[in-house]
Amino acid sequence: MLISLGRALKFSFQDIARNIWLSFVTVIILVLALFSVNLLIAVQVISSAAVDTVRDKIDISLYLRTEAAESDILALRGKIAALPNVREVTYISKQQALADFQKKHENNPDVIGALRELDTNPLSPSLAIHPQDPNKYDELINDLNHISDPIIEARNFDDHKLLLQKIDTITSRISEAGFLVSLLFVLITLLFLYNTIRVAIYTHRQEIAIMRLVGASSWFIRAPFLISSVLYTLIGVIITTGLFYLFLSLLQPYLETFFLNYDFNIVSYFRANFVYLLLIEFFGTAIVNILASLVAVRKYSNI
Amino acid sequence: MIRLDNVSKLYQPNIKALDHVSLTIKPGEFVSLVGQSGTGKTTLVRCLIGEEKPSEGKILIGDWDITDIGKSEIPYLRRQVAVIFQDFKLLPKKTLAENVAFALEVAGKSGAKIKSVVPEVMKIVGLGSKMKRYPNQVSGGEQQRAAIARALVYQPKVLLADEPTGNLDSINAQEIIDLLLKINEFGTTVLLVTHNREIVNRLKRRVITLHDGRLISDQAVGKYII
Repeated sequence: MLISLGRALKFSFQDIARNIWLSFVTVIILVLALFSVNLLIAVQVISSAAVDTVRDKIDISLYLRTEAAESDILALRGKIAALPNVREVTYISKQQALADFQKKHENNPDVIGALRELDTNPLSPSLAIHPQDPNKYDELINDLNHISDPIIEARNFDDHKLLLQKIDTITSRISEAGFLVSLLFVLITLLFLYNTIRVAIYTHRQEIAIMRLVGASSWFIRAPFLISSVLYTLIGVIITTGLFYLFLSLLQPYLETFFLNYDFNIVSYFRANFVYLLLIEFFGTAIVNILASLVAVRKYSNI
Repeated sequence: MIRLDNVSKLYQPNIKALDHVSLTIKPGEFVSLVGQSGTGKTTLVRCLIGEEKPSEGKILIGDWDITDIGKSEIPYLRRQVAVIFQDFKLLPKKTLAENVAFALEVAGKSGAKIKSVVPEVMKIVGLGSKMKRYPNQVSGGEQQRAAIARALVYQPKVLLADEPTGNLDSINAQEIIDLLLKINEFGTTVLLVTHNREIVNRLKRRVITLHDGRLISDQAVGKYII
């Protein structure tokens, strides 16, 4: 059995070498398909991190009347903090709001000048509410809408909801487009591999006929072609992994500026999940490729 | 050794390649199967190696009923019933020895066994000194010898020779027939398919004659009668 396996492996290497250009193009197509699948995974990881980052930044502001008494504000803050989905409620006083505003616009002399003209603090005190779970944003807004207190001047909810919806829409569109591109590449790969095996069988038709004549089993005749498809997969996965790692390393500096102050590193993510991704990609692709090769071998090897 | 009971082979739409052929070949016999082209000789050979299944009748090799042989059993049949053809069927990119070794390689034989069997069998067919030559570097007769050597590596019980001299001049053809006789002397049953009148008449062995798919003559010491 081991001897036969060794010989099947030898015939498989001969097959790859004799059709070297076809083997090369097959691997290239395989690399493109795997690269697009990896790209899809990366887009999903990055977009999910981006959504989490934006959600983390989002707080819900409840603007209060300027004349509201400190004790009423603190009572309202306590009431909101007791809601089930609230992580933290920060009270921003009029003075704090003014200080933040001035700091934000310190480089804009027109705004600062206009503020100085007013001579009073026009800003309202507010409560910044951070949700426990950003996914339960709607529930929290619903709870806040049920709180009625005369010191509440305005509720600023809708802008954030719109932003989150936009991010979700963009993410799902990117994922859908990525999925379609990946599917297209996978289909092209399947067709190409099927054709490669067909050509390989055609090249070996004389050898196959003689193998049958001298009593080779069907398994022995078919095994080298199946081994070839596994070898193509292995080479394709290794090349893709190397190229993709390089691609992510080049991408990371750009991502760092986007995820400023956040601990997100796509290269680290891939490094941490390297073995898992490699095995999934190899076995997933190998199974699909073997199935395509089996169909080709069954159809064309009865020479 | 070989028994055919009422074997017929029909091809669509209505071509009868073999028509109720019955015959028995004993172990160790040397039999010539003769007849004009298209008379069913090759169909009979194809039935004996499991390449075709008879439409009717029964085929036995020893006690083995191969009438409805399954695909998985064919490799084992081919190791007991070896066959050589007019066109030698050698791989041009392999040396003669490699061509012979190839038959053992695909059967999963060990490297040591291959190294011992191949030179031995090459010597028997008279190619001991040309083992490393490629098919295009030797004569047609020598190519056919290599094909015979390849057929012999399994020590088959039956050797089917389908027009083995068809591509050879008379001297080479006679040498091949002599080699087949030598193999027959070792105990292998030989079925020689030919339409070479001279060879058949010179052999003075059993001759079976087919005509339009039917067995029309079976002589113990026969001549080419058509």
